[in-house]
Amino acid sequence: MNLLEVTTLSKSFDQGKTMALDQVSFTIKQGKVIAIVGESGSAKTTLIRLISGLETPDYGVIKLKGEVISSLETMVPPEKRNVGLVFQDYALFPHLTVAANVGYGIKDKTMKEARIAEVLNLVGLAGYEKRYPHQLSGGQQQRVALARAIAPQPELLILDEPFSNLDTMLREQLRNEIFEIIKKTAITAIFVTHDTEDALAVSDRIMVLKKGKLIQKDKAKALYKKPDTPYVASLFGTIIELKNNVLEEFGFTPETNKHYALRAQDIKIEKTTKYQLEVQLKRVQFMGEYYQIEVITSNGNQFMIHAPKKYKQETLTIGFNPKNLLVFETN
Amino acid sequence: MTKQAGNKNTIYSVSNSIKRFKRDINQWSITTLTIVFIIAIPILTIFFKLFSGPGETWDHIVKNLLPKYLTNTSLLIIGCTTLVLLMGVSAAWIVSRYEFPYRKQLEWLLILPLAIPSYITAYSYAGVFDYGGTLELLFRTVGTTLPKIDIMNVSGLILILSLSLYPYVYVSARTVFLTQANNLIEASKLLGVGEFKTFFKLILPLARPAIIGGLILVLMEVLNDYGAAKYYGVSTFTTGIFRAWFALEEPETAVYLSAILVTIIFGLIMIEKWQRRKIGYHNDIKNNVILKRKNTTKKKRWLLFFLASIPAVLGFIIPVLQLLYWASLTFTTVFSWDFMSISLQSLSIALLAAVLTVGFALGLIYMSKWNKLKLIKNLTKISILGYAIPGAVIAVGVMIPTLIIDKWLNRMIAAAFDHNIGLVINGTIIGLTYAYMVRFLAVGYNPIEANALKIGDRLAESSRILGKSNIKTFFKINFPLIQKGVISGLLLVFVDVMKELPLTLILKPYDVSTLAVKAYEYASDELIAEAALPSLLIIITGILPVIFLNKLITK
Repeated sequence: MNLLEVTTLSKSFDQGKTMALDQVSFTIKQGKVIAIVGESGSAKTTLIRLISGLETPDYGVIKLKGEVISSLETMVPPEKRNVGLVFQDYALFPHLTVAANVGYGIKDKTMKEARIAEVLNLVGLAGYEKRYPHQLSGGQQQRVALARAIAPQPELLILDEPFSNLDTMLREQLRNEIFEIIKKTAITAIFVTHDTEDALAVSDRIMVLKKGKLIQKDKAKALYKKPDTPYVASLFGTIIELKNNVLEEFGFTPETNKHYALRAQDIKIEKTTKYQLEVQLKRVQFMGEYYQIEVITSNGNQFMIHAPKKYKQETLTIGFNPKNLLVFETN
Repeated sequence: MTKQAGNKNTIYSVSNSIKRFKRDINQWSITTLTIVFIIAIPILTIFFKLFSGPGETWDHIVKNLLPKYLTNTSLLIIGCTTLVLLMGVSAAWIVSRYEFPYRKQLEWLLILPLAIPSYITAYSYAGVFDYGGTLELLFRTVGTTLPKIDIMNVSGLILILSLSLYPYVYVSARTVFLTQANNLIEASKLLGVGEFKTFFKLILPLARPAIIGGLILVLMEVLNDYGAAKYYGVSTFTTGIFRAWFALEEPETAVYLSAILVTIIFGLIMIEKWQRRKIGYHNDIKNNVILKRKNTTKKKRWLLFFLASIPAVLGFIIPVLQLLYWASLTFTTVFSWDFMSISLQSLSIALLAAVLTVGFALGLIYMSKWNKLKLIKNLTKISILGYAIPGAVIAVGVMIPTLIIDKWLNRMIAAAFDHNIGLVINGTIIGLTYAYMVRFLAVGYNPIEANALKIGDRLAESSRILGKSNIKTFFKINFPLIQKGVISGLLLVFVDVMKELPLTLILKPYDVSTLAVKAYEYASDELIAEAALPSLLIIITGILPVIFLNKLITK
């Protein structure tokens, strides 16, 4: 069953001169975790503010559990949507204790104390009830924010860049912890990130936004294996686009109206592959985790490849397997 | 992937725009609009009254008085600008750049002239320079006489207004010097540029927008002044408005003079806006170090102390000493049950006005946020323009419509109940408080808005998403966090109302008086020594927020 149904959702902040969000449509099934991926300016935040009711759409419809919550005629206020939201900066109420923060949205007063204890236990912060937000570490604040959002048992939980304020060490650990909690509660969740690693690690499906348009939505693995555009492919690691005449040099016959790319690690060096080519090294540059090598083919085509080690010889045999080719339609 | 719904043209078609408008208009749009309208009535009145033509004496005024008003006003603007910049900027630079004895005390003493309304400074200096005044007495005791100095003229008024208003420039210049000059001085030093050149070529231009911002406040006060100009016999637009209203009994003429005055003020505001926009001076304060003060030789240190203390001594200490001397002479005659009752009236009116004004400011700030129509959000800025409009003008703008409303009310009630209720708004506390609100809304609005901006919208949004309505969110989240701003707003409006003279004179009920009015009445009746006690009481209430304000700046 579709929990959330978004149709041709549009928003502009300058009366239509530029569209912040341009006719985005998608659905989310009950119990799934969806990642929205995009660079800054892709309108990820606008999209979730529209879903949570903090912004009014210029066009389009949002339905939650089949009921219209936003449209040209209807605007259900945020407090009546039953949507939970964890802000990037957590937005904990500084003048309230942890318990008061977590209990803030619980409607059933008789269950309040028990529910606070339950969710604090769930996020591993039992015993912190009387503390104030400023007395907590960043990771703890993050968990209080999560506890506060799930305490009223929302239909849909939205997390805005949940890990961007945490350092790398903490990030991975907390990411796994938080998504375990989300899975445990079986809540439907949307989380917004610019980090594709987070998206691949924890989500059932990924939506890619670019400049206010939804450009692809798929399962994590499918999105990685079969991106629709070079842009989407490049979000998940460096790709090397190969022109059709280069592919011909490899002995591969490209289809018309298609163009191709390979992920950097899928160009094999000095290994037997189906399509191979001998190239000359032009320049080798140390990049930390890999070497970037500029190569030139016998026909004079130049491109970059990544190599795990330094090559000193003048020529290299490079090749690839066709199953690794990323294929895009040419417009 | 996306279902094509058409292009931008269909999204922004007229019918869809109407649908969005219908969806987004809510009770808060209406309340915001209502508040804006209520506050804008006096100015709208002046504007629309212009079309009904000037009064009978207008030709006479244009021929005989207007040139005088214009020259006096120009002289005041030019003179005060020069003096205020000289005193405000140099004092600010000395106390921010140099270390010298009693610097800290002087730093806030320099702000204190703000606590004295200009008309009171004017009264005390009249006493200092009068025949048989304090100065003459002082010289007589040492056995000499001095030539008579007449300050009851335009030059004297310029001096008085500058002495009581320079703190606006001092405060704004000092803020910039303290927070932003350090980097420039260090960079200049590295480049081998001298201190003098650094100040004039780099620091002064950097501080210019802030200084001019302060200067505009000074000039608005100069144009607002009635008490000092009246006492010194200088004809200005404000005294002209009073004359037209009370002596000539020609509201139309008062309206025309008001309109010219307001035009001059908006001209000044435009200049300020323009100079601010020209260059992006913004320097991120967060990354700047507080200016390090320089130590100099002992002699120089005392010289600096002497220089920087001139404005404070002239603007605060001398007037206060003069008032204290007078108060000691007249205390027994002035202090009475009647005086206590006036003090109490003054305090309660100021308190009432402060609470209502801050209430309206809060309403305006939050309801315009809850309203979803951008157009109405932009309109809210109109309602804080009252501070730019002189009290006398607002009084005229309140007088005319309230008289009409009162007449209408009387007719309605007389027709229905055969009973005469008299004036309900005009010439009552309601009308007076309303006028204070119009005039001082910005005073309450600004500190609250600054506080609200610092807190941001995230917390309130979180509360909404957690199921609390706008109103609940306001009481549970917004209000507890903006208390500081609310208190500063209350305090500032309270003191401004305590000090206010021209508007109060025109609109106060005949049986009500305030300390400011009492001081004015004594002074007009040539009982200037008797004016000291009410003046001192106003100053004491005024000092409180000045200290508070200073703390906010240095923090």
